[in-house]
Amino acid sequence: MTDASSPVAHLSPVRPATETAIDLDHIGKSFRMENGRELVAIDEVSLKIGKGEFVALLGPSGCGKSTILRLVAALEAPSRGRVVVEGREPEDLSRAHRLGVAFQDHALLPWLTISANVALPFQLAGRSVDRKRVEELIRLVGLAGFEQARPRQLSGGMRQRASIARSLVLHPDVLLLDEPFGALDAVTRRQMNVELQRIWTDERITTLLVTHSVEEALFLADRVVVMSGRPGRVIKTIEVPFERPRQPAIMRSAEFHDLVDELTLALEPEEAA
Amino acid sequence: MRPEPATPNRPLRMLKTALSRYWGVIAVLVIWQAWVSISGVNQIVLPQPVDVFRDLVAEPGIYLRNAGQTLLLAALGLILGMLLGTVIAVLAWSSTLLSGILTPLGLVFSSVPVVALIPVIARIMGYDLKTVLAIVVIISFFPAFVFTSAGLKTLPPGSSDLFRVLGASRWTRFTRLVLPSAVPSWMIAFRLAAPPAVLSAMLAEFLMGTSGLGYLFRSAASGFQTERALGTSVVATVISVLCFTFALWAERAVLRKWN
Ligand SMILES: Nc1ncnc2c1ncn2[C@@H]1O[C@H](COP(=O)(O)OP(=O)(O)OP(=O)(O)O)[C@@H](O)[C@H]1O
Ligand SMILES: [Mg+2]
Repeated sequence: MTDASSPVAHLSPVRPATETAIDLDHIGKSFRMENGRELVAIDEVSLKIGKGEFVALLGPSGCGKSTILRLVAALEAPSRGRVVVEGREPEDLSRAHRLGVAFQDHALLPWLTISANVALPFQLAGRSVDRKRVEELIRLVGLAGFEQARPRQLSGGMRQRASIARSLVLHPDVLLLDEPFGALDAVTRRQMNVELQRIWTDERITTLLVTHSVEEALFLADRVVVMSGRPGRVIKTIEVPFERPRQPAIMRSAEFHDLVDELTLALEPEEAA
Repeated sequence: MRPEPATPNRPLRMLKTALSRYWGVIAVLVIWQAWVSISGVNQIVLPQPVDVFRDLVAEPGIYLRNAGQTLLLAALGLILGMLLGTVIAVLAWSSTLLSGILTPLGLVFSSVPVVALIPVIARIMGYDLKTVLAIVVIISFFPAFVFTSAGLKTLPPGSSDLFRVLGASRWTRFTRLVLPSAVPSWMIAFRLAAPPAVLSAMLAEFLMGTSGLGYLFRSAASGFQTERALGTSVVATVISVLCFTFALWAERAVLRKWN
């Protein structure tokens, strides 16, 4: 029904083709190693993410995916190029408390209960805690009944889910997720994907998701970007053609399987070359 | 009414655990009593445990008053010393300049042996309670300073980035992340500092005070009231053990919540 050669035609009708929210303009990142040598983590990456767009980032381990998220979050400065978020310096977004993140380590504070951890962004922003919002998100990530538990009493996957709830609690404008479902079993992961999609459809947050799961990327994202091994470069971009809201059933369609194959192939290291 | 089967057993069980835990103490008391009775050593050289016990029961006021004073001084000194150590650690944390001045100063200051300090401080501050208090403060300062300094730097993994991303101000970061992170180390400092606080209070009283357990021991010993001197030792031991137990309990209670 759609023309695969012109990706723009696939843009879901709900999302207007609008201004750029995140602009990675020819960025590169090198780290100086202990022995004085330079490690080029990201070679050159240019990527524009539209306002309200959901982009998934795939790539082999160590190719600089987390580094890209850290650049967008202003936790790291690019060695080359420029990062612009909503037309300004990336710091401005976090200073305005409009950024939500769930990084690879959950970073829950061990002395706070789950409920207090999820409510923490309100306090850091100097706002009064919206109890209903906190409760609702804890329920959505399937942690109802664990509000008063401490992080150490939860499994790794449960902690990850708590950190996702925390990342969403302030209705951020930009959401950065780094393998947020990495520690989950397949069934819970599917459930969380469905929940995340539901929340995302309601709020239309500009989202950059790092994942190792091709299926997850295709199910959630508007666009999937594949990076090469270190030093990282963008080697493939796919516009995801499925209408929203998406049902898990689309994962059984032939079109979905074709895209999975295409992405999996792109992820495999170039043997011939 | 049929008594519950567990009830008659309980005192017996408690007695059993007490015996199995403290049989050493009991054995020493029994041997001591037996040896004094059999060999007939002079009372002034070594009184019987029974006499010590009799003195404790006959004059509880003297023991209580002096023990109360020692405990109060130790507690007050402990609180002030830990407060001081914490404040200085926080100041050193807040600026590299202050850290460069305060850290070596704190270390030098706290590695001077206290016994050597007592006469000096006594000469400056006078031979009274103020000096006892000052010594306990100095003793308690060191662990608080060292452990709080370390604790302020051990943040949970990823939390520092999280606070930056969430746009926390420097002050919120301090109150909601840095200070709470130091609590477990602070509790270790408390556990380590509590028994020496009591001990150094008694030592200072012994060397120059005019009241308190340390002084009671000294005046009893020099007046050949050996059973009173030993009674004082018993009270001091009990207090030390209680303080240590309390500090250990407090540390465990806090750590359970914190980690
Ligand atoms: N602070 C740092 N100092 C030195 N090297 C770093 C630093 N952070 C990342 N690197 C290097 O940059 C490269 C990219 O790291 P990054 O964490 O972005 O990978 P990734 O794509 O997220 O991998 P994974 O999928 O395993 O999480 C790695 O080779 C890593 O060693
Ligand atoms: Mg990573």
